[in-house]
Amino acid sequence: MTALSGVEVRPRNGPIARLGAWLSQERVFRWIPFVLVEGTFILVIIIPFLLTIYISFLRWRANRPFEQAYLSGFRNYEAVLTDTGFWAALGRTFYFAGFAVVFELVIGFVLAMLVHRVVRGRRIYITVFLIPMMVVPVVVGYNFSMIYIDHGPLNQLLLPLTSILGIDPRIRWLSDPLAAQWAIILADVWQWTSLTFLIFLSGFSALPPQLINAARVMGASRWQTFWWVELPLLKPVIVIAVVVRSMEALKLFDPVVLLTFGGPGTSTQTVAYYLWEQVWQFNKFAFGAAASMLLLILFSTLIFTGIWLMMRERTRLDRERGS
Amino acid sequence: MRIDRVTARAPIAVACAAGLLLAAGAATGAEYGPVAQRAIDGAKAYVKAKGLKNPTLDILLNSLYRNSFPDFAKEWQGLTGVAIKAEPLGYTDIPSKVMGEAVAKTGAFDMFNDFPYTQPDAASAGVLKPLDEYAAKYKPDFSGVPEAFIAQQFYNGKQYSFVLDGDHIILVLRKDIVENPKAREEFKKATGKDLGCPANMADWEEQAKFFHTEAGQTRWGVKFDKPLYGAMGYRSVNFSHRHFPAYFGGLLFDKDMNPRIDSAQGSKAIAAFSSIVQYMPKDIQGWGTPQIYPFWGSGQAYSVMSFPSIFGYGNANPKSVVKQKQLPCVIPATNAGGKPVRRAAEAAGTSYMVNAYSDHPELAYLFIQWLTSPSVGNRAIAHPKGFWDPFREANKGDAGILKKFSQEFLDVTLENAQYTTSLLYIEGHYEYMKILDNNLADVMNGNIKPEEAAKRIAKGWNGVTEDIGRKEQIEAWRKGVAAGLYIDKL
Repeated sequence: MTALSGVEVRPRNGPIARLGAWLSQERVFRWIPFVLVEGTFILVIIIPFLLTIYISFLRWRANRPFEQAYLSGFRNYEAVLTDTGFWAALGRTFYFAGFAVVFELVIGFVLAMLVHRVVRGRRIYITVFLIPMMVVPVVVGYNFSMIYIDHGPLNQLLLPLTSILGIDPRIRWLSDPLAAQWAIILADVWQWTSLTFLIFLSGFSALPPQLINAARVMGASRWQTFWWVELPLLKPVIVIAVVVRSMEALKLFDPVVLLTFGGPGTSTQTVAYYLWEQVWQFNKFAFGAAASMLLLILFSTLIFTGIWLMMRERTRLDRERGS
Repeated sequence: MRIDRVTARAPIAVACAAGLLLAAGAATGAEYGPVAQRAIDGAKAYVKAKGLKNPTLDILLNSLYRNSFPDFAKEWQGLTGVAIKAEPLGYTDIPSKVMGEAVAKTGAFDMFNDFPYTQPDAASAGVLKPLDEYAAKYKPDFSGVPEAFIAQQFYNGKQYSFVLDGDHIILVLRKDIVENPKAREEFKKATGKDLGCPANMADWEEQAKFFHTEAGQTRWGVKFDKPLYGAMGYRSVNFSHRHFPAYFGGLLFDKDMNPRIDSAQGSKAIAAFSSIVQYMPKDIQGWGTPQIYPFWGSGQAYSVMSFPSIFGYGNANPKSVVKQKQLPCVIPATNAGGKPVRRAAEAAGTSYMVNAYSDHPELAYLFIQWLTSPSVGNRAIAHPKGFWDPFREANKGDAGILKKFSQEFLDVTLENAQYTTSLLYIEGHYEYMKILDNNLADVMNGNIKPEEAAKRIAKGWNGVTEDIGRKEQIEAWRKGVAAGLYIDKL
């Protein structure tokens, strides 16, 4: 072959050139994204998932070599389901998540509503309210451990209240079982209200102004406009906030480790902490695999129910708008 | 002529140089002692034989030692050319890293530095290299080391580690209060006893009760602006179990691994362990070392049961108000079981282990033998930024150790070392001890009675034993007891 310049160009017949030519074929090229995505999916999700299922049926603790592991049927599942510690941790998780998510939704919603109506300094408020979400959980944990010490700032702030109520001003935030539970809930609320605030703020910003203006023109008060127009329109956003925060809150782990290590006793042990402890402290990998499979089923059911509710609400709204 | 003269003098010069070198070598040997010197020579020979260039060993280091260990790593490199790269990590995370290595088998770390109690699980998982072959070759020296510390280097009859730390718990009192004539007189009047180191746990609680003082009170001519707590000790999750053997005073299992805690002795120990909490700071159940040490240093407690290093902290910390006001005491006896016995639990400890998947396990072993040898070990214990505590006879006469710890403390802690008993040194250690911690917390919080806690602990322990394998656990338990891990015998 001779190029136009007169310089001879040798045909490229190497393996890389052949591979390039093969890949550039239309029928092959179309498959490349699919293969890459599926390959990653199989490698990152499917293989570990199948391995977890397999391990959950083994009799194996990591303090024995894996080669000594053997199949033991549903023994691990039975052990998890009959372990009172598992159920107690699960119950505690719902208790923490329930209160935390409710507080986060209410506070986030109110803040978003107020900030949405503010004209001056709106950006500053948004920035300030989003900061907690951006703080590394470890830092949040250590900060709260300082806030909660018995001579710390929180008890100092509460001093007028505790004096009026006549209770011990030194609330043992991290060593009294009940106080420690609320210490964890408060830390979670502080950090993650930012997220619900952000979701609700975007929801408020996306409200169609013509509907609100129309309601005003027709003589609706501010409260009526909010209750009958804005709130129904925000329902999908509320469901999103509930689903997103619940998914995270059910995995509550960082503040537990950083503030109480599950204590005193087991009073702040969440199911995520329980699993971590079983696997990484007690080396019960097979037991942990079985427990995580059971949790996967449980949490998936809850979350998919939430998503289904969200989809149903959105469909209903779309239908109403269409009609 | 000149050339001839030089030639004639050459053998003399060579002889002189050789003599100097020999003398230097002898001096070096004397400086390091034979055990350390064997390790140095062995490492040099190993590097030469393998033809290693810029060899490096990695150690997963307990982060407490991040400011002291590098000095010894640097010294070792200067002696042998072998660099030591340390990866500091919090001690609560090290066991899971070690067990992760058992599964991953990467060889990323040549050595592990952690509590001895990680060893049974790790050894059974095959991640620790048995060191017997190397020990036979390089001959370490364990003379003057109490039996429990020696036994902690072995598991199921094989050596897996070296120990360099006497972390057996001790009691420290406020010397200024104990020596206060008015306080002594009032105490004598109230209890009929002379004030001093308590003979047993009941006496300690009696003192704690007597000296427990509300803020604003004036006692023995001293005005207390802040409260004075009668006692302090570790009562939080992951720490309670480290003190419990001092109250139980015997083996936790019988020869067939049946728990002995579900008994009058067990209930009594749990009750005593929990009872003294009323004289401790309110949030003691949430406290670990970062809270207990500064609080002791602030002078707001009459007594503290802790790791020995609290004494050094009290004297050395710039903010401490208890400098030269501390009275170290051997562990008080417990009367559980009918007779008074002293059991100072080795609450934590510092061990050095070799990764079975290391590329150079022998080289790693040699560094550990050098570091833990009597001569270098003494310097480590004396290191101002270190947390190694005295534990062996060789520590006694060392000037550096005396300077750091004082003669008074050294005498007490070395006597205390004779009462050292191990925590549970079998597979599943952390799970057994967590069951104990959780139930002790329930008793301290008033949720259950000691008898109920004892039953639950026994049931939980049996569950762990069955899950791991009763036969294997019995074998390991019996071997450990026979080796002297717990002072008591079956």
